[in-house]
Amino acid sequence: MTASFDPTAPRRGAVHRVTLLVVAALIVLPWVEADKFALHILSLIAIASIAAMGLQVLLGYSGQLSIGQAAFYGIGAYTSALLTAKLGVPFPLALIGAGVAAAIASLLMVPITRLTGAYLAVATLGFSIIVYLFIQNEEWLTGGSYGFIGIPRAELFGYVLRDPMLSYYLNVGVAAIVYFTFARIEGSRFGRAINAIRQDADAARASGVRVTLLKSECFVIAAFVAGLAGSLYAHEVRYLAPNDFTFWKSIEILIMAVIGGVGSLAGAILGAAVVVGLPEYLRAIGDYRMLVFGAILIATMLFGEGGLAALCATLVRRVGEVSRRLALKLPPRNETAP
Amino acid sequence: MNTSAHDDAWLLEARSVTRRFGGLLAVDAVDLAVRRGSVHGLIGPNGAGKTTLLNLVAGVHRVSSGVLRFGARDITQHSSARRARAGIRRTFQNLKLFGEMTALENVAIGLHAQMRAGFFDAVLATPRHRREERSIEDRSMTVLHFVGLAGVAHVRSGALAYGHRRLLEIARAMVARPTLLLLDEPAAGLNVTEAAHVSELIARIRDAGTTVILVEHHMDVVMRVSDEITVLNYGRRLAHGTPAQIQEDPGVIEAYLGRSGENEGAQA
Amino acid sequence: MGALSVSEFVDLMVGGLAIGCVYSLIALGFAMIMRATNIIHFAQGEVMMLGCMCGLTSVWLLPVLPLLLVVAVGMASSGIIALAMELAVYRTLRRRRVPIMNLITATVGMSILCINAARIIWGSEPLRFPELFATTAYEFGGVRISPQLFWIMVMGVAIMGALQLFLKHTRTGLAMQAVAQDPEAAQLMGANLTRMMAYTFAISGMMAGAAGIMLGSMFFAFFEMGFITGLKGFVAATLGGLGSITGAMLGGILFGLIETFSAVFLSSAYKDGIGMILLIAILLVFPSGLVGLWQKRR
Repeated sequence: MTASFDPTAPRRGAVHRVTLLVVAALIVLPWVEADKFALHILSLIAIASIAAMGLQVLLGYSGQLSIGQAAFYGIGAYTSALLTAKLGVPFPLALIGAGVAAAIASLLMVPITRLTGAYLAVATLGFSIIVYLFIQNEEWLTGGSYGFIGIPRAELFGYVLRDPMLSYYLNVGVAAIVYFTFARIEGSRFGRAINAIRQDADAARASGVRVTLLKSECFVIAAFVAGLAGSLYAHEVRYLAPNDFTFWKSIEILIMAVIGGVGSLAGAILGAAVVVGLPEYLRAIGDYRMLVFGAILIATMLFGEGGLAALCATLVRRVGEVSRRLALKLPPRNETAP
Repeated sequence: MNTSAHDDAWLLEARSVTRRFGGLLAVDAVDLAVRRGSVHGLIGPNGAGKTTLLNLVAGVHRVSSGVLRFGARDITQHSSARRARAGIRRTFQNLKLFGEMTALENVAIGLHAQMRAGFFDAVLATPRHRREERSIEDRSMTVLHFVGLAGVAHVRSGALAYGHRRLLEIARAMVARPTLLLLDEPAAGLNVTEAAHVSELIARIRDAGTTVILVEHHMDVVMRVSDEITVLNYGRRLAHGTPAQIQEDPGVIEAYLGRSGENEGAQA
Repeated sequence: MGALSVSEFVDLMVGGLAIGCVYSLIALGFAMIMRATNIIHFAQGEVMMLGCMCGLTSVWLLPVLPLLLVVAVGMASSGIIALAMELAVYRTLRRRRVPIMNLITATVGMSILCINAARIIWGSEPLRFPELFATTAYEFGGVRISPQLFWIMVMGVAIMGALQLFLKHTRTGLAMQAVAQDPEAAQLMGANLTRMMAYTFAISGMMAGAAGIMLGSMFFAFFEMGFITGLKGFVAATLGGLGSITGAMLGGILFGLIETFSAVFLSSAYKDGIGMILLIAILLVFPSGLVGLWQKRR
């Protein structure tokens, strides 16, 4: 998190420049690499990153470990599928509806936000298991184990997004909106408060912060975006099965947020890229996928505090330093004072 | 509810307040009356129940029995966050700062309850958000000047020197201009110079209009700055009066001051 | 739905008690680790599963192995595995004083690691245990009980009894209890904290291993069996009062009975859901569990 009221504007400028570069690259990408499959994978990465960013608000900002996000992802997916396939609701409304449905479901969790640490985690897990059982058993609604087929493609303004490039723009676009929305939390009253709750809830309470209320708000926000992600997922793969929304999905989302770097939105995106993208490009690890991720999770806890995001930031900084020094023809680093 | 002039003089009243932890009687039917605009010292040997009593006033623990009044209100059942919003703020014996945040941000949390901008204000950068951020920054810097930490406003609080962290705790509690400030051993671990600075700071806090309850072991700090002192021993009120009276009270001398006089040497 | 016949009732009772013993053993592990380290050991269910798998493998290798040795193998392997987790990962994290969230996340990672390792080693198909128990039913005063369930209950009670004796009457056991209650004071009295921590993980692992063999022989062994049963063991521990060993034992039995009896009256599809709802209810309403309620009565 960057500090509020921070006078160190130059660093902020650098972050902005990098962000703009990345955004530009993402916009241009489909014109450079038009392979349908690659664009589909990128869409899935974008969708996963939305759910991961939601978890980042919960875990990285307010310090609440939730291992039940798959429940909201699933509620969003099935709600959107039902609204479009069975009720003929236009996609944009179904997308919002999915988010809203997930958010409303998360209100059931509000009593749980009184809990902390592992107790909270287990309660979220229990909640997501109940949701999973519901999805699996209520066949009349969800198709149960037979799955939900025939989900229409996403459409905007009546125009069906048949081309993978268009759905790429949709998914990346929503991910970008979520990213920039959450990025504004830092340096705000809300952001400081939930960060304070993470670091010392009692001290926050003593300063008049309504701890449980804010913790609940974070849950609702995370659930809403997980619901959005679920809807986008449903319309991207157009087939849903309960197996997509088990505990393992919650763990995947957790892994994305953690290996990316707890507390970093960019990290959530990097984590999503690794968790979703890597297995596609490393067919060899196929079966060993979760094993590798479990090991990476432990390794990150043991060694890498800031995860991939910190690694990238260090890399970028080093590259920037080296190029600056080359440009100014300065001597190598170890001869000057830092 | 009485609103006579006599009652107005008392900002905080604890009547026969008791707190049990299982079988342990930490605070035993203690009466406390804190005059508006004063610095009220709370002293006693280790384990006397001072911090517990402070926690009861702050709302961290519920009283097992007894009544707490703040101004005209009965706050006995109010939560600590509610009391904080009503104007009672506190510092912690074991320093509970937000280590990853800057000094300025720590103080800004103190103003959280006075502001209203929420998630949507932050995202949409509403006028309310911008207005409140400016106000928070101004008021927080003012308080940092007041305690003498303006120079380290943008330093991560975890990286500050111990003495500065103690001052920061006070700044965070002060920024919302509380009516009642509860200081839990603000001079703990400080050297003579730093402790003197804290004494002087507490006096300035009182002069600015805040009533203070001060739990402290540094006798020179307590005696110098308190208007009245309550002495606890074994959870019960042992004595009550001005610093001069307390220093003369034989019961207090025997229970407490005599011992500390041997150990620390007369500093006052 | 009507009343149950006597034999139906006895069947449910025995079944509930047997599975209750399994839950109790797992719950014990959670309670011991919680007392010692203040974390929920997410991988406890996997420790159980691995003990079960190792026991099964030993029977494959040596089909003549008697029941007690199979249980012993299971207990020994899971004890060693749990110890390895502590030595390799948890100890380092505690020494670094990482935030508790990191420690919990690491146990989640460990859980994932174990489940997938088991899937790779033993495959994803459920595996049957060979007959370890007699097949003809025992008769007690006209009531018939399956030998398997009977011996599982006996073993469960015996192991838990042995644990209680160990904790209360041996130096190591008392030292472990002291460390759990007040680490600093115990250290001043000469207790070796790191060793006690190692014992805690090893013993809780052994408990889980016994539970694994029992569970495997009751149903079957498979790589994901630790997940939901581990979670139910946690519910049982919470029901009894997290951190209390007696509570864990009682909680396990009670939860086993609740689950077995309510599965009759509720849709069996939602059977797992019963535990989850119970868990959330306990956490919200009386988080200190049965033991907490008992203590408040005083």
